[in-house]
Amino acid sequence: MLSDPGMRKYLVGWALFGVALLLFPQVATSGTLRIFIFANFIAIFAMSWDILSGRTGYISFGHPFLIGIAAYTSAMLTYHLQTPLYFSIPLGVIATMVGGTLFFLPALRIRGTYFALVTLAFMELMYQLTQVMRPDITGGTRGLSGLPTLLTGALPNYYLSSAVMFVIAFCLWLLIRTRLGTALSAISMDEDAVKSSGLDTTKLKLFAFMVSAFVAGVGGTLYVHYLGSIAPRAIFDINFLFTILIAALLGGASTIIGPIMGAFFLTFLLEYLRPYIPGTERYFIYGSIALIVYVLEPKGLHHIIQRLYGALMRGKQA
Amino acid sequence: MSPLLELRNITKRFGGLTAVNELSYHVEEGESLGLIGPNGAGKTTTFNLIMDEFQLTSGQIIYRGTNIEKLPTHKRVQEGIVRTYQVPRPFHEMPVSDNIRIGMMPENIGKMIAEAPDPDAEMAIARSVGFGEREFAMYPGELSMGDLRRLELARTIAAGPKLLLLDEVFAGLTVAEIGQITELLLEKRKDGLTYIIVSHDLRSLAPLVDRVVAMSFGALLSEGSFDEVLADEKVQEAYLGT
Ligand SMILES: Nc1ncnc2c1ncn2[C@@H]1O[C@H](COP(=O)(O)OP(=O)(O)OP(=O)(O)O)[C@@H](O)[C@H]1O
Ligand SMILES: [Mg+2]
Repeated sequence: MLSDPGMRKYLVGWALFGVALLLFPQVATSGTLRIFIFANFIAIFAMSWDILSGRTGYISFGHPFLIGIAAYTSAMLTYHLQTPLYFSIPLGVIATMVGGTLFFLPALRIRGTYFALVTLAFMELMYQLTQVMRPDITGGTRGLSGLPTLLTGALPNYYLSSAVMFVIAFCLWLLIRTRLGTALSAISMDEDAVKSSGLDTTKLKLFAFMVSAFVAGVGGTLYVHYLGSIAPRAIFDINFLFTILIAALLGGASTIIGPIMGAFFLTFLLEYLRPYIPGTERYFIYGSIALIVYVLEPKGLHHIIQRLYGALMRGKQA
Repeated sequence: MSPLLELRNITKRFGGLTAVNELSYHVEEGESLGLIGPNGAGKTTTFNLIMDEFQLTSGQIIYRGTNIEKLPTHKRVQEGIVRTYQVPRPFHEMPVSDNIRIGMMPENIGKMIAEAPDPDAEMAIARSVGFGEREFAMYPGELSMGDLRRLELARTIAAGPKLLLLDEVFAGLTVAEIGQITELLLEKRKDGLTYIIVSHDLRSLAPLVDRVVAMSFGALLSEGSFDEVLADEKVQEAYLGT
């Protein structure tokens, strides 16, 4: 595998990316690092969305549901039972994967728009439940705060989130290069034809759901113990959902680098617009930008850059 | 010896329409069976029933001596029953090589991850249907109808069939292409592959089949050698539409 020159080129790319992440704090202020931390989390969530929806074509509008299970499980355990983080985080991830199975059930029977709507309903249901059911445990509308954090300070949190983002990206990249990746993409093109090629699409979908839930679980638990607080309005929120979705679509679904690029682009856009447009109108601006990019190139930023790069190289040679 | 596949009184109703009506026929191991009938006779529906792409309304499907009505599609494929589609259904956003890869995929997810694909074996299958290096890297959108049918065939052969159901493999092909595919099918027959071949192109079908089943309005019309069935008055009537 390593002797394959195509593979080597990619590995060099990954190494450069890793080094860039490592060296970035040398030139960045801690404010910029904070934005990067947020971008890393959005990238993790967008990758989680992509491995499910970008691959198999089962569009999830309910990813905040998965992230919320992770975040709330760990938050409640640490808040009420003083469970140590090294215990509550894995439990949060496991809970998310169990929740992912629940999410998976409708995908056995329905596809397309209906699936998307059902997943949206999951998110909405969680939003209501966390507020109404046992607010003494969930913290109700106000949520929980004063949660233990893993690390303090911008720099350590930057390194942690970057490392986790990088490792997830690299593992997912390896995974989709296998034959499993090919099979998952085929499901989005023609699920019945995949079945009639002798593949058990139920198992394949379940696997994609589990991987997606795992990544959402890791991201969700770390996110809540970075923030140190949690509230239903911050997690089960349509803007949060759109940030994830648009990051994945804008960057280019079905690539690994796409959701990462999308997440960084969006986060920085949002941040630089903050002084000019302080309210949620910012979401309107980036929604519009996302729409324009999407109309220009449905395969996303990733493809636009690839094309520009291609044109540039041809220009040089000429 | 029991037949490789036997259909017993299979029926498929779509609401008020009976597409397949108490149909029974069989195919022996190593045999090549032609399935003919006018448009809308229910030939494709029969294939959909054999593959569990449609659910039987009633009847039995017996493969190698056991009832398979309860097996899902992918299990039937794993047992060796594979079909082509009348309208080719390639995976559009993948090159020919990956389309073949899907056909050759192991059953188990662990193996899909751990075992690398075998490009040489994929190429060998591509070559067996007449593709070269160039077509191997092409996308379905760039292929001619003839090449799409070849791809359809390549994908099914990749799945390792014992019984191959071919739905109109000759439609839209040139005489030369028909000749090539015929040769390929005859070649595979020598390796013991069993066929059920649906075709409107009776002249191309003739050299390929040992026996023919004719159907009309979902029911069996006539069964026998190619010449016997074509000489049958009921078959001629059905085709002439009188
Ligand atoms: N999914 C479906 N829903 C409703 N009716 C169907 C469906 N599929 C097929 N039919 C009907 O069943 C009948 C048989 O169709 P089928 O496609 O099996 O015919 P065929 O013999 O393959 O015809 P052709 O030679 O045109 O391919 C037709 O009347 C068709 O309209
Ligand atoms: Mg048909």
